[in-house]
Amino acid sequence: MKKDTYYFPVSFRKLVLVFLILASISVPAFCQYLEGFEERMTEFTLNNGLKFLVLERHEAPVVSFHTYANVGSSDEVKGITGLAHLFEHMAFKGTETVGSKDYHAEAKAIAEVDRLFEEIKAEYRKDEDGDPNLLLVLENEFQQAQQEAGEFIVHDEFEEILTREGASGLNAYTSCDATRYISSFPSNKIELWMSLESDRFANPVLREFFKEREVVMEERRLRTESNPQGRLFEEFFAAAFKAHPYGEPVVGHMSDIQTITRSEAENFFRQYYSPRNLTIAIVGDVEPEKVKKLAKKYFGAIDGGTKPDPVETVEPPQLGERRVVLSDAAQPILLIGYHKPEFDHPENAAFDVLTDIVSEGRTARLYKALVKEQKIAVAAGAFGGPGNKYPNLFTFYAVAAKGHSNTECEQALYEQIEKLKTEPVTQEELKKAKTRSRASVVRSLASNSGLAAQLAFYQVATRDWRNLFIELEAIDNVTAEDIMGIANKYFTVENRTVGMIETKPAEN
Amino acid sequence: MKAKKLFAVKAAALALFCLVIAAGCFENVKLTKVKLPKLKVSQQGASYKRIKYPKLGDIVMPDVGKVTLDNGIKLFLLEDHELPIINVSVMIRTGSIFEPADEIGLASICGEVMRTGGTKTRTGDQIDEELESIAARVETSIGVDSGSASMSVLKEDVDVGLEILADVLRNPAFAEDKIELAKIKQRSYISRRNDNPGYIASREYYKLIYGADSVYARHTEYATINAISRGDLVEFHKKFFYPNNIRLAVWGDFDSEQIIKKIEKAFAGWQQKVIILPAVGDFKYEYKSTVNLIRKDDINQSNIFLGHIGGLKSDRDYFALVLMNRVLGQGFTSRLFRNVRSRMGLTYSVFGVYSAEYNYPGVFYVGSQTKSESTVKAIEAMEQEIKKITEEEVTEEELEIARESFLNSFVFNFDTKGEVIRRLLVYDYYDYPEDFLMKMKEKIEEVTRQDILKVAQKHLRPEDVQVLVVGRPGDFDEPLSALGTVNEIDITIPEQ
Repeated sequence: MKKDTYYFPVSFRKLVLVFLILASISVPAFCQYLEGFEERMTEFTLNNGLKFLVLERHEAPVVSFHTYANVGSSDEVKGITGLAHLFEHMAFKGTETVGSKDYHAEAKAIAEVDRLFEEIKAEYRKDEDGDPNLLLVLENEFQQAQQEAGEFIVHDEFEEILTREGASGLNAYTSCDATRYISSFPSNKIELWMSLESDRFANPVLREFFKEREVVMEERRLRTESNPQGRLFEEFFAAAFKAHPYGEPVVGHMSDIQTITRSEAENFFRQYYSPRNLTIAIVGDVEPEKVKKLAKKYFGAIDGGTKPDPVETVEPPQLGERRVVLSDAAQPILLIGYHKPEFDHPENAAFDVLTDIVSEGRTARLYKALVKEQKIAVAAGAFGGPGNKYPNLFTFYAVAAKGHSNTECEQALYEQIEKLKTEPVTQEELKKAKTRSRASVVRSLASNSGLAAQLAFYQVATRDWRNLFIELEAIDNVTAEDIMGIANKYFTVENRTVGMIETKPAEN
Repeated sequence: MKAKKLFAVKAAALALFCLVIAAGCFENVKLTKVKLPKLKVSQQGASYKRIKYPKLGDIVMPDVGKVTLDNGIKLFLLEDHELPIINVSVMIRTGSIFEPADEIGLASICGEVMRTGGTKTRTGDQIDEELESIAARVETSIGVDSGSASMSVLKEDVDVGLEILADVLRNPAFAEDKIELAKIKQRSYISRRNDNPGYIASREYYKLIYGADSVYARHTEYATINAISRGDLVEFHKKFFYPNNIRLAVWGDFDSEQIIKKIEKAFAGWQQKVIILPAVGDFKYEYKSTVNLIRKDDINQSNIFLGHIGGLKSDRDYFALVLMNRVLGQGFTSRLFRNVRSRMGLTYSVFGVYSAEYNYPGVFYVGSQTKSESTVKAIEAMEQEIKKITEEEVTEEELEIARESFLNSFVFNFDTKGEVIRRLLVYDYYDYPEDFLMKMKEKIEEVTRQDILKVAQKHLRPEDVQVLVVGRPGDFDEPLSALGTVNEIDITIPEQ
């Protein structure tokens, strides 16, 4: 039988190596800290496959929780875009015992709501052949049924109990790659969190589904349709990915949000929220043995299910430049993206160093060239995305200064990109980037919630949280030739997608 | 009972602190422990209700050392040896409230170029290189009613960090090329200020409440930026940047005695000066009911703000208002969130806060975004909640949720050293008691349903709200005129 628990000192050698690297920028205090880090870390996996990472940090009587569900919008297929995100909203609506006066009766009432929605959809599909009067009757019944189902609800019980007991930073986020549920509590509320979080993913009830869908439509209007940057990003990624779901918006297309059913959401949940697909990081004032006992008690009984398959679609090589120009009321913004590999790829470290060199701070190449010297932009830089679990984009951006154009910025960015391809970066630039990535790890160690996020991410993305530190080793090994190598390999005309907002002349 | 005793101890410590500051020597506040209230747990229903919470470990109030240097800089010190990092946060008494009306942007540009424009001995670019090569940060900025500076360095670089920090505060060169860069940024910002409906709504709402020319709401124009010269920046800096006008908090991995010596060295020879602050006119709000529209054609969602003037943190009603805010419009459990978002599905984000500032009145605002087709419906739902909270007492359960969430999360006010010391710095800057937060906790424990109704009736005026909508009126469910005479606001950007 597989042992469900193992403790840390598995790859101690690696850690030693890491703190030697860190020692070069830092004082013995930090080395001691890292040695301590290892001692304060406990990891275990329950029989159902649910993985826990527990880090003791007794600075204050508080604890941060991070539930990392390895599911995001890239797990959706056409027709149900936005579902991963919609489910995240629904995960605050309670369970069979939390949020219901009488779940048995409520379930029946919810089924009636669902039935009516399906009927309405069927009626809509008939187009001209449909009966508008029938549709009106159905709409009315649908509203009525929702009200009736609402009678059984103890409204907002889930959020209320968490808030009342002192939750801080209670929230959830959905990206292309993952859905994260986060919160912090006073450290005497660990069992409360265990009870509610396990119930949430064992017995969720997607109540008030159709109202929450309307909330999500408003979120889409807010972030995308009424926001020029949002509009640009959606068009840009859609242009860059023709096959891989990274081209679809996380929030979903409006018509999909409008037609998604509760049963589609439940199926999605069953497929992607098995314990094997969850990783939980807990950082703060905790006793690992107690945490383990509680984890077994509350999460141990959840059926393990199967690990969902990763996305099989691979974005084919791009054969020519793609360009999307939005004629918009807003001021110009320019994006130039190149396909690049995923996070867990050997070349990733070189992209990290490159990002620092071109984009971080006032000495970064793009800021220096476009903002400080040429004065054609007010901001310029580069970032990776929209996700990083699968091959994604390395995107350069520039925000034109008043009186300057996207054309000037595009030209200037190409000059900088050409320089990366033809001249090695300097040793000073390399050294600075490496120092800063080490310092940024040191700084990240000061926050429970930040640490929990990092540990969970590295565990899922690289199958070992230690890579949070070990990655520094890879970064330290990056050479000027590596950077020139990736620049020449990826920053080609055919591999490029250009997106921009061009300001529409005002109408009079 | 415990809390009262604690308050007495802290008051004594405060008195001692004043004496010590006067004497200019080093003092440590006694280690104080705060006990959290016990919770009532019901024994029925869902399984979480049966959980018994262990006693929470005591919150340890860290020792914040205080000392005034000979040149007048007030120091706050807090050792934190967890990581090899040292941080500094500085507050300087200045602000855009002191800039002339025809040079709006002066304070902001001054705050930026102090750092980017270099000093007498280093160019801005040299400072950038020096700091970034050691992963350090020194920044300066000037806001509405305060200036600030910050430093963050790895422990071994503290001397360099302090030297640069002191240099940019004392000897900024205001290099012409960096002034030009700051102005380009400002002009570009002006040209982009109508791109995002959310920014438009909050900017114009503040102008409605404080008045478009008020120091708390006015904003830059091309003409005010163009009017600013290097000489103006030098003058503005000269008015405020003296050691006796500065508070400096330092926390991180150091020994207090040693860091004091280092700070003294970095700021040595800086002369004090008597500073006469320019007068800022009194602010008087006239309550009125208005309906205001800003047309924006490229959006399908209305941005709504409505409300009136807010208050001061020093108001004795402030503590009851903090709980009123939680019931009305702050967080997942508030009425606005529950009703306008979760029950009605009208919005993604909705909020309502009677906000209070330290030394000038804040604003009372209720805001949300909703699809154009439900604009008036949403406004009415929001107004309804304001009305309701001034008409009936909140329920016992609502009060409990608001109070317990405040008290149970109180520990998060103390979970990092940085927030503890920065809070003290801010209280000191605005001349608030250093135990203001503890006092707030004590008061909040005592707030009743009647208190909340009383402060709601006193401070909220549902019949006198100013409504602002940024949206596409052709698509509204009803014309805004259903709410009153509509005043259309033109936000065309004046040419230079």
